[in-house]
Amino acid sequence: MADAVVLPQAQPVRPAVQFFKLIPGVLLLTAVGYAGKLLEQNVGKYAKAHHWTFPNIEYVLWAILIGLAISNTVGIPQIFRAGVATYEFWLKAGIVLLGSRFLLGDVLKLGGASLALVVIEIAVAIGFMTLLGRAFGLKPKLTSLLAVGSAVCGVSAIIATKGAIEADDEDSSFAIAAILALGALSLFTFPLIGHALHLTDHAYGVWSGLAVDNTAEAAAAGALYSDSAGKLAVLTKTTRNALIGFVVLAYALYWASRGQAQAIGNKASFLWQKFPKFVLGFLLISLLATFAVFNKDQIGALANLSRWAFLLTFAGVGLRTNFRELAKQGLKPFAVGAIGEVVIAAFTLGLVYGAQRIFHW
Amino acid sequence: MSQTNGEVIVTKRRGLSLDGWAVLLAFALAALVRAGVFKHIPW
Repeated sequence: MADAVVLPQAQPVRPAVQFFKLIPGVLLLTAVGYAGKLLEQNVGKYAKAHHWTFPNIEYVLWAILIGLAISNTVGIPQIFRAGVATYEFWLKAGIVLLGSRFLLGDVLKLGGASLALVVIEIAVAIGFMTLLGRAFGLKPKLTSLLAVGSAVCGVSAIIATKGAIEADDEDSSFAIAAILALGALSLFTFPLIGHALHLTDHAYGVWSGLAVDNTAEAAAAGALYSDSAGKLAVLTKTTRNALIGFVVLAYALYWASRGQAQAIGNKASFLWQKFPKFVLGFLLISLLATFAVFNKDQIGALANLSRWAFLLTFAGVGLRTNFRELAKQGLKPFAVGAIGEVVIAAFTLGLVYGAQRIFHW
Repeated sequence: MSQTNGEVIVTKRRGLSLDGWAVLLAFALAALVRAGVFKHIPW
C-alpha cells in the first residue's frame, strides 16, 4: 500500500438532501408555468373588457416569456438552479403520459410516415452540416457535434456523441450553446411562418418535430401553434429521438476507425445504452390505451397530467435561456448552426409539403 | 471508490437514469389514475 494513490474523498450526498435541493426550483417552474396559464386566461378577458385589440397569447408563450425575463434580468439564484434543471425530467414524464392520447395503430401509422421523413432529414442534415463545418474551417469534432445536434435531438444527442467520440468540453459547450440559441429563435419564428403559410395543424406539427432540434423547444413550438400540432410535434420528435443510438454509433465507429475514439465492443449494448427509454414508456402507455386499460375519463386525466408536466417544461425553457451566456460562446459555431438550421427548416418544409400531398394531411 | 496496489478503482454507482425516473413517475401516476385515486385532474 506504500505507493497507494491518495485522492480526495468526495462526500456522498444523501438522496434525501438531493431531493430537497430540487424543491425550490421545481416550485419556481410551477409558479412561472401557472402564471403563464393565469395570464392566458385573464389578459384576453381584460383586453376585451377595455375594448383593446390584443392578440390571444397562449400559456406556452407566456410561460417562456416570464422565464426569459427572469433569467435575463435578475438571473436564477443558486438555490433554484438544481430544481430548474429538472425541466427535461418533466418533459420526458409528459411525453410518456401523452402516449395515452394515441392509439398504438395511430402511433405506428403516424410514426411510420414520420420515420421516413426523419431518416431523410437526418441524412440531409448530417451531410449538409458536415460540408458547412468544413467550409467554415470548424474543428472536425465540433462539426460532428453540430451535425448530430441539428440532425437528431439537440442537447441529448450532443452529450451522447461527446462521450462516444471523445470530443473536448469546449466543443460540446459551443455546439450546445448554438443549438439552444437557435432553439430559442425557432420558438418565435416557426409559429409565424406556419401561420403565414397557412399550414394545417398536422403539417405544422410534423414540420416542427422534424426541424426544431431540442425536444423541449420542439414541443413548445408545436404547442404554440395548437394543441393538436403540439401532439404531432412531440410524436415526430420522439421518432427522431428513437434514432439517436444509431447516429451516435455511426459517429463513434467513424472516429474510432480514425484512431481518435475508443473502439465499440458490443454494438447492441451500445445502442441500448443510448436509446431514450422514455420512447418505450410512450409506446407502452399507448399500448395500454389501445387495449382500453383506461376509460375515457382516465385518459382525460392522464392528458391533463401530461399538460401540467409540459407546463413545467415550458417554464424551464425560458428560465434556462440566458442570451448573455449564449453570446459568450463565439460567433462561428452559431453562424454554422444558423445557416444549417435555415436550410434544414426549408428542406423539411418541402418534405412536409410533399408528404401532405401523399398522405392528405 | 477503493484502492488496491496503487490502482484507483472508481466504482460507478448504478441507478435509474433521468429517463428511467421519468418513465417510473409517469407509470406511477397512470396506475394511480387507473386505481381511481386521482379521479379528475383539472386543467
